[in-house]
Amino acid sequence: MLFLHEVHRVVGAKEKEFEVAFRAGWMEALAADGDARLLWFLHHAHGSGPSYQVVTVTALADGTAWERLAGRVQHGDLSDWAREVDSCRHDVQGRLLMALDFSPLDVDLGDVPTDGRRHEPALYMEDTMWPKRGKAEEYITAAGAVYSKMLGADAAHRLISIEAAYQTMPGAGRYPEVTLMQKVHDMRGLVRLLTTDMPEEMARAGNWMHDALEFRDQWRSKLLRTAAWSPLT
Amino acid sequence: MLFMHEVHSVAGEREHEFEAAYRDGWMKVLAQDDDARLLWYLNHAHGSGVSYRVVTITAIRDGAAYERLADRLRRGDLLDWSRAVGAMRHEVEGKMLHPVYWSPMQEIDLATVPTDGSEHELSLYMEDTGWPSAPLDDYIRFWDREYFRNMRALAPEHRILEIEACFMVAHGTHYRPEAILMQKILNYGLLLSLISEPEEYDPDVWPGRYMHGGLRYRDQWESKLLRTSKWSPRY
Repeated sequence: MLFLHEVHRVVGAKEKEFEVAFRAGWMEALAADGDARLLWFLHHAHGSGPSYQVVTVTALADGTAWERLAGRVQHGDLSDWAREVDSCRHDVQGRLLMALDFSPLDVDLGDVPTDGRRHEPALYMEDTMWPKRGKAEEYITAAGAVYSKMLGADAAHRLISIEAAYQTMPGAGRYPEVTLMQKVHDMRGLVRLLTTDMPEEMARAGNWMHDALEFRDQWRSKLLRTAAWSPLT
Repeated sequence: MLFMHEVHSVAGEREHEFEAAYRDGWMKVLAQDDDARLLWYLNHAHGSGVSYRVVTITAIRDGAAYERLADRLRRGDLLDWSRAVGAMRHEVEGKMLHPVYWSPMQEIDLATVPTDGSEHELSLYMEDTGWPSAPLDDYIRFWDREYFRNMRALAPEHRILEIEACFMVAHGTHYRPEAILMQKILNYGLLLSLISEPEEYDPDVWPGRYMHGGLRYRDQWESKLLRTSKWSPRY
């Protein structure tokens, strides 16, 4: 399975039109066959980064399904839709992602909601990491063996949980690059994270924040809020 | 057919190792089956842009072949090669391309692409990447009508370049709206004139008609001057 990750810079005055185009256009058009499903429609939370940015993640059955979808957008039944959506955004930056071995996301495309059912919004912390030169595989191994287990160690008191972990597909984005979709469970904990310094003990050898510096020191976190109708919440 | 376009930020002290890894590794390994072939290995000419940048373009049969190749890089027989190359560059930015409807390059017979590294003279390409303000489809049609057809109609002595391919980004693999021209420089004297002599374009006569009319579609693009390596399969 592949994942199409897109960051849309939306025209502010057309944000509602844009959202409708994805809900009534993209999500429903994809529901007609087994190639792909929209998983997440997420707003980059105002006050935490750039304005009017939307992130969408679409699951694709495989490379052949992606090629068919790309053809539909380029010159098929979705080309008019793409032209309309282009008029609602300044641009879009896309990439294809492959799930890492420790990614917990297990999607059956047939089970993904496509009816726009509403729910409470959820908040995600999406982290994108750029490992150091020649360190990509070591970083991924360590993230799976240490970081993901660390987050899952105490389910009752967790701040975030990894919902999906990806590596950018060669030829479809920047490489090396790793992306984690992490659901925020503890809003008070999030405030503490944002408003206090990292405890000293976490910066010592033997802790992830210290040890992972061997593999990476450059990443970006985005706080993304699901739309009320986003298929996955 | 898909085209994998990659821009590599190479570690300067390892540029020769990097080139050898593509010539003796990537090109030769791909030659072992029918999924893909390296087409171009191009150095961004020093003095015309960023340092130590290499552009490679690899033709890939279809989406299934692309997925197989990605798997080989991630956990198959190309993992060690990928790891070694990863240590020779700071990063790589990739995108998948589709030829547009009027592109002279469409399907490639992969079996005819050279894979033996035989050496030849160098050639220079001008790779133009445009970001239209008009709808992407309109921009691509404008390139066809006002640029491609007029350039092709010029007498050989007046032609600065030949448009070998025009691509758009395959959905979801990079930036949209964007389109790309791969143009082989035919006349270095005309290129020098273009670069060194200011030109007043007459809006009623081509190419002034193209330059002025083009502003209805875009005013943002980037040209890269890319020189083939002496073993690049296409040149």
